[in-house]
Amino acid sequence: MVKARRLATKRGGDLRITFEGETITAFEGETLASALLAAGVAAFSLTRTGEPRLPFCNMGTCFDCAVRVDDRELVRACLTDVREGMQVRRQEVK
Amino acid sequence: MTQDLAIVGAGPAGMAAALAVAEAGFSVAVVDEQARAGGQIFRRPPEALGERHGSYRPYPWARELIERFEDHPGIETHFRSTAFGVLRDRDGLASTALELAVSTPTGGRKLTSRRLLLATGAYDMPVAFPGWTLPGVMTAGAVQSLLKSQKLLAGQRVVVAGSHPIQLILAAQLLDAGAEISEIAFARDLPGLVEMAQSLPAIPGHVSIFAEGMRALAKILRHRVPISRRTVVSEVVRTDNTLELRLSQVDSDWKKTGADHRVEADVLALGYGFTPSTELARQVGCDLSWNSAGGGWTVSHDAGFQSSAPDVFVAGEPTGVAGAERAWAEGHMAGLTIAASLGAAIQPATLARARRRLAGAARFAGVMHTMFEPRRAALAELSRQEETVICRCEEIRNGTIEDALQNNPFMQSASAVKLECRSGMGPCQGRYCEETVAARIAAIHETSIEASGYFNAHLPVKPVPLQDYRDIGDE
Amino acid sequence: MTRGYDTIVIGGGLLGCATAWMIARDGGRVLLVERDQINQHASGSNAGSLHFQLEYRMIERGVEAARKAAEAMPLHLQAAQLWSDLPGLCGQDIEVKQTGGLMIAENAQQVELLERKTEIERSWGLDNRMIDRAEIDRIAPYLSDRVVAAALCPTEGKADARTAGPALARAALQAGAEIKTRTEVTGLVRQGGRWHVSVATAESAQRAIAESVVIAAGVWTTRMGQMMGAHLPTIPLALMMTVTQRVPKLIPHLVQHAGGRLSLKQALDGNILIGGGWPARLIRHRDGEPNFDAKPELLTTSLSGNADMAIRVLPDLSRIPAIRSWVGTTTVTPDQLPLVGPVPGQPGAFVATGGSAFTLGPSFAQALAALIECRLPETDLQAFDPARYGRQ
Repeated sequence: MVKARRLATKRGGDLRITFEGETITAFEGETLASALLAAGVAAFSLTRTGEPRLPFCNMGTCFDCAVRVDDRELVRACLTDVREGMQVRRQEVK
Repeated sequence: MTQDLAIVGAGPAGMAAALAVAEAGFSVAVVDEQARAGGQIFRRPPEALGERHGSYRPYPWARELIERFEDHPGIETHFRSTAFGVLRDRDGLASTALELAVSTPTGGRKLTSRRLLLATGAYDMPVAFPGWTLPGVMTAGAVQSLLKSQKLLAGQRVVVAGSHPIQLILAAQLLDAGAEISEIAFARDLPGLVEMAQSLPAIPGHVSIFAEGMRALAKILRHRVPISRRTVVSEVVRTDNTLELRLSQVDSDWKKTGADHRVEADVLALGYGFTPSTELARQVGCDLSWNSAGGGWTVSHDAGFQSSAPDVFVAGEPTGVAGAERAWAEGHMAGLTIAASLGAAIQPATLARARRRLAGAARFAGVMHTMFEPRRAALAELSRQEETVICRCEEIRNGTIEDALQNNPFMQSASAVKLECRSGMGPCQGRYCEETVAARIAAIHETSIEASGYFNAHLPVKPVPLQDYRDIGDE
Repeated sequence: MTRGYDTIVIGGGLLGCATAWMIARDGGRVLLVERDQINQHASGSNAGSLHFQLEYRMIERGVEAARKAAEAMPLHLQAAQLWSDLPGLCGQDIEVKQTGGLMIAENAQQVELLERKTEIERSWGLDNRMIDRAEIDRIAPYLSDRVVAAALCPTEGKADARTAGPALARAALQAGAEIKTRTEVTGLVRQGGRWHVSVATAESAQRAIAESVVIAAGVWTTRMGQMMGAHLPTIPLALMMTVTQRVPKLIPHLVQHAGGRLSLKQALDGNILIGGGWPARLIRHRDGEPNFDAKPELLTTSLSGNADMAIRVLPDLSRIPAIRSWVGTTTVTPDQLPLVGPVPGQPGAFVATGGSAFTLGPSFAQALAALIECRLPETDLQAFDPARYGRQ
């Protein structure tokens, strides 16, 4: 995991998503990548040999931050806004 | 309905072109993956943080450009949407319209237009070395965009490494956010004051950018951040939650000289420069040319920014990475050319002004190029170990690629290696391994990166659900 | 510089590499010349299906057309065996999986067509039988309920089109063949009972001399024929394929459709390959001649049509990301049967191409090797004789 930290600033309203079934609090206006990094998620995706990956480019090109959102595959967390009730899972076969 | 112009990318180039064409009375549709206009360079905080704008320092014109773009009624925007391919309608041999395949949050759709402008920007230049896939290793652009537009500090202890001047600005921003910079590693010597002074006459209108750099440098020195020159990150290992970095001394050609030291960090921010995003241009069949100082493979174009593919124009970083000023000027010029090609009368004075802006921006870009062009072959040598991952998506390691080259002496092109090894066949479509593969072929066959060619790019240039294919058939 | 060979093979696709390997293995001095890189065109850009049942394009025009197309069945039967032996024979890793192929039907009309087709194929000796929905549920539960019956051919399957060509090229090298890539043939002249082949690279022009030449040039076959003054009619077909992201093991079979253009299979890596003969647009010169140096263009109708067919029979595909769609340009002949044999009027020149050339590549290569080595081919080639189109 990476110890990412939200800076003190005005944020949107809080909301809840789940990652691999665990509830995570996030704030309106955050990307899924920010929310998962701030929550200390250890792997957004796993490679074919099981290596963990976290966001690398944060601009939609590298696909290391790909997750599954509500059964949609290969969703780039860095380009996706958090939404109340979002069910997020690790992208395992990439 | 058929738009007069479709634009991919709402950064400075795309916005400037959209305005030039819309102001001439034509219809324009713009597609961008981000939630709001601005592109990577002006990536803005979300509206939920309560502001229409973030800080666009040191580009004072950005705010007005964005506001004019957002407020223009003739510009239709499709945000959070990926342009994944370009198709053509033809009548016999003649091209009659372009069809942009777009993946939107609600499915696939087809945007039909008479002209197309690719203003697709650039991404951080990938450099492979042992450990570059580990959690905590990020591009400088990633660390910066998390900080600026999401108000998120990726980690407390950061090493900033690379060769691009933006690394200094990033380090200063990180210090402002309360991060500790363990070290700044620069692959080249920092530009001396003399070099800076010599370059100033070439940059009228760009003094603010250098001023920003000088301000950043002052802050870094005040914080007593260690700065290593002629130093690259050559290896990262991860134990528990800490990255241990090996920083290696290099000579003036960026070749390792043997002296190393180690430093710990939570996050490594890598910035060796930028690679133009040319995938859509390749997919639609535009000719490319090799321009190392401009970021690698760039899209060839004429003085009006028309590519070799009929009705397809290009502006901004895909023509050669040259920064936001130049992108704005190119987008404006491309927009005027497109408007003229659609039948608008453009005043000679307007064209002359656009040319002057281009020329001014070009001088500055030229200075940046000569100062900061990466030594590509030397950087590629950082990944020569058997086990080092070259293709992040398919986890293709250097040993696989070198074995393939040894066993198949008839293989000389990047595309042939891609087909044999699967390197470049994953979701990122080869963006992060193409140059390393090409450099490896060049090293083994003793040719050049350019001679290895580039990967063929296919639709979709970014993966999309198969349902989106189905949807684009709906009229 | 002039060099002498027994055989010069023109074209570094699957067929050229296989032919070069077989002749070199049998002791021939072989030069293979390829204008691009090995395996870059139709051989490396087809979907890798090993299909021995008649394809949709052969049955869509009715039973009589199917009966004609079935004349190629001996080459298919030979290919089924050759593909399974190929990795062992050439000593290279080639991914070949013959885990069965299904041609599926969604309605009574398609079922009837399948039954007639299966009869024809069985009369030629192909192991193929009809299966009902209950058996589909047992062996292919991934197929949607729309599928009511299928023809099952146990020897069908897939080979890795990415790597088969280079593997055969390595085998050829190891057997002593020479391979020159980025080397284009610019002249083909027969003089003094031998073939003088002019070749050019970016740097230089050379000439090579051989007893025999093999045209294994795919879409460039007709042009090579013209160069030697022979009539080798071919029709280029630009076809689109799509590969998806890797997914867990789902489809063990090669799946084709009796009522439309669809082929589906899963590569060993987990990616699903979707094709079936959806057209792309060949780029043409001003005189109307196809320009094979230009990349063919994808068509919106093909992208959506192929996706629609695939999702109909496998609904889960709708949410699986497509990674890549590309075009391979294959050749067929005016009568849809392959072109295999001596080039008419040109002693010592041989050709093979035309339809299912990936599946049939090893059969073609074996036939060419036999002709060059003055042996009797294992399959009667009369129906495929290029002379059937005349000399000019």
